[in-house]
Amino acid sequence: MRRVLFLAVFFIAAIAVNAQPLYKLDDVQSGMLLVKTTQPGIYAEAEPVNTDVKLQVEGMILRGEVTQQFHNAAPMCVEAIYAFPLPENAAIDRLRMTVGGRVIEGQIKVREEAEKVYEQAKSEGKHASLMTQERPNLFTVSIANIAAKEDVVVTIDYQQTVEYRDGAFRARFPLTIGPRYVPGSTPDQQRVTPPVDLNRRNRVTLVADVDAGFSLSEITSSYHAIDKRALSGSRYEVSLSGGSVAGDHDFELAWKPILGSEPKAATFVQSQGNDRYALIMLMPPAASNQVRLPRESIFIIDTSGSMSGTSIDEAKRALKFALSRLASNDRFNVIEFNSVLHTLFEKPMPATVDAINQATGWVEALQADGGTEMRPALEVALHDERAEDTTTVRQVVFMTDGQVSNEDELFALISSKLGRSRLFTVGIGAAPNSHFMSSAARFGRGTFTYIGGVNEVEEKMTSLFTKLESPVLTNVAVRVDDESAEVWPARVPDLYAGEPVVLVARMSRRGGRAVVTGSIGTRQWNDVQTVGTGGSDSGIDKLWARQKIESLTEQMVAAENSDVKQQVTDLALAHHLVSQFTSLVAVDVTPAGVPSEPCQTMRVPVNLPEGVEGEDGSLPSTATPAPLFLLLGSLLIAAAALIARKP
Amino acid sequence: MKRRLTISCTLALMGVFLFGDAVRIYAKGVVGQALLLRAWDRTLRGERDVKPWRWADTEPIAKLEFPRQGFGYVVLAGASGRTLAWGPGHVDGTALPGQRGNCVISAHRDTQFSMLRDVKIGDVIVLQIANGQRVHYRVTTKRIATDRDTFLLAPSSQRKLTLITCYPFDAVRPGTHQRYVVTATAV
Repeated sequence: MRRVLFLAVFFIAAIAVNAQPLYKLDDVQSGMLLVKTTQPGIYAEAEPVNTDVKLQVEGMILRGEVTQQFHNAAPMCVEAIYAFPLPENAAIDRLRMTVGGRVIEGQIKVREEAEKVYEQAKSEGKHASLMTQERPNLFTVSIANIAAKEDVVVTIDYQQTVEYRDGAFRARFPLTIGPRYVPGSTPDQQRVTPPVDLNRRNRVTLVADVDAGFSLSEITSSYHAIDKRALSGSRYEVSLSGGSVAGDHDFELAWKPILGSEPKAATFVQSQGNDRYALIMLMPPAASNQVRLPRESIFIIDTSGSMSGTSIDEAKRALKFALSRLASNDRFNVIEFNSVLHTLFEKPMPATVDAINQATGWVEALQADGGTEMRPALEVALHDERAEDTTTVRQVVFMTDGQVSNEDELFALISSKLGRSRLFTVGIGAAPNSHFMSSAARFGRGTFTYIGGVNEVEEKMTSLFTKLESPVLTNVAVRVDDESAEVWPARVPDLYAGEPVVLVARMSRRGGRAVVTGSIGTRQWNDVQTVGTGGSDSGIDKLWARQKIESLTEQMVAAENSDVKQQVTDLALAHHLVSQFTSLVAVDVTPAGVPSEPCQTMRVPVNLPEGVEGEDGSLPSTATPAPLFLLLGSLLIAAAALIARKP
Repeated sequence: MKRRLTISCTLALMGVFLFGDAVRIYAKGVVGQALLLRAWDRTLRGERDVKPWRWADTEPIAKLEFPRQGFGYVVLAGASGRTLAWGPGHVDGTALPGQRGNCVISAHRDTQFSMLRDVKIGDVIVLQIANGQRVHYRVTTKRIATDRDTFLLAPSSQRKLTLITCYPFDAVRPGTHQRYVVTATAV
């Protein structure tokens, strides 16, 4: 007791002198991440990273500026490494590092070279910053040689296409990363699974300037409270209420244009050097007058351990909703998987009332536990016994949080087994792996739906099913009267009610016409678009490059084409983009004046997503109830013996 | 009389069931390690991601040996309750066995890691990794922590090993908030 008192007094004194909380391991009361100091046994708390986000929307293109401030509170120099997520179709094209009032522009380099430049600067005691892509939606930033008490600010610029769905444009900004299930074989496990901050101390501020191009009926945030100011009928300024939020739930902004009758196709143009870039948007009509075709629906539900908590409840609710939408001339089956796989029926069955009741009870009893072995489930779901049947539509609806790491293997499976089926992914939970799910849907020529909370299951599932029940335009293709034109994506998805299709083309300087064709049921449809002139900085060129990289990367998965790596590298270097093979690196030529001894390396934790239960925030539980059972068991047997022997 | 016999039989039956559950938990630790040793031998022969049984969601990644006490256990990837039922688990996100950094392994206090109470400062602990190499560590500290002390999982620039189990060892009820922690540094 005296010893404790002495320590307490010592620490109060130490804090008073230093004005910087330092800890001895025995004194830490709550979960926190610590860095070592130069004094043995004394620790400082790792600082959270605060993030400022500025979004600028013009029509369909969003440009984002993300500023992250790293403050080193520790009394020695550190190297900080932190992982952060971005929307899965974001293209990063600029990195700036601000230190001591100097701004250093990042250079785009081949990844290995950028890493070498960074390591060199690090060993010379210079400030340096490196940004690498770990997954298409997950990046890591390393900052070398941050001296004691010093601030380093890293700013990145990115661009993405805004989503349009159900009559509203939507922009998402992911604020944290879900813990991932890594099936052992992934070589970069440590990089994609950063430590988790259970206290969610990382703060985010966000402002958005939205110029939609059309007058808006409303602009709303799906999960956070916002303040908004109208700059004109079509332009709004939005910011998070109360300044900042804890980054534990993705941010989503939605704005609805007022449209008398929606356009069928729209084109945006950018003139850049000797090229002209065109963004062609296909809009479905507001109301569909389609005849409902009978469907064969296969539902897959992920019941792995990562789905435990609110995620599995959301998924069950979504699935039960889906079952309730089946019509009597439909056929269906349900597949559940974790480490093992179970199917409700041996093969798809007619959707009779009895079959649906049986399915609903079966789904209700599901529990989340075990690993994520997705492959067998997809194989079974894509197995089509009536592949030649054109009178029914075959749709696979896949509900998961997508926390897997063997993504490439699964994409290859989907593209080789798809046939006439279409794959629709439904993202569940606060931070699903939406790169995996939107890519899987693209390989499956379907769409990705994100459900961010139990209260929006019905709304999102209703719009998904309205869509599934009425494909508007199938077999879509684009023909441009310019031989040098390149259009991406090469495999155009079907057009459904409430969701436009976006295509990006690069053409020669003179421009030309683009003819879009497709079929509505058995009838042919086409639309002619003229590609005129446009501004030079709207970012369509970057979108085109990014789309091409994505398509090439997907080809690499499907065909293992070795040329692709070189093509992606060249494209990314030309358009200043961070990709799997290229990184941005910034080096300050002025030495940081830090001690020559190597800096401590610190992995900055990410916030635990909202609604996720886990052992991440505490040490593992390591007691079994066996001793308790033994004791209770003996007591019960002894009691039994006593009662039996009493005369 | 008849009623008393029924009560007695019911109680005896419940007792036997609880005993059975306890035996099953202990047996899982013993049988699991036997299966795991086979999987580890295959891993050492160069196979990767060897699943010890068909439905496993984990695989052996190292073997932990206590030469003085004469114990050796196969370590599994991940430290969830499902994994720990079979053997010691490597805590995700901490350094991989044998690599530079803080490698954290935990196991149940009443199965494999009940022997941690006999570990002394200065004892040698050996960690065998998949390429067959053996990394030697020497125990530097033993301490009692709480389950919120996640700093124990913090990265380190040294090659360090942290072993965690529940404390007190003899507690009957599971779910205590105290942890027994042994740290060792590579020699």
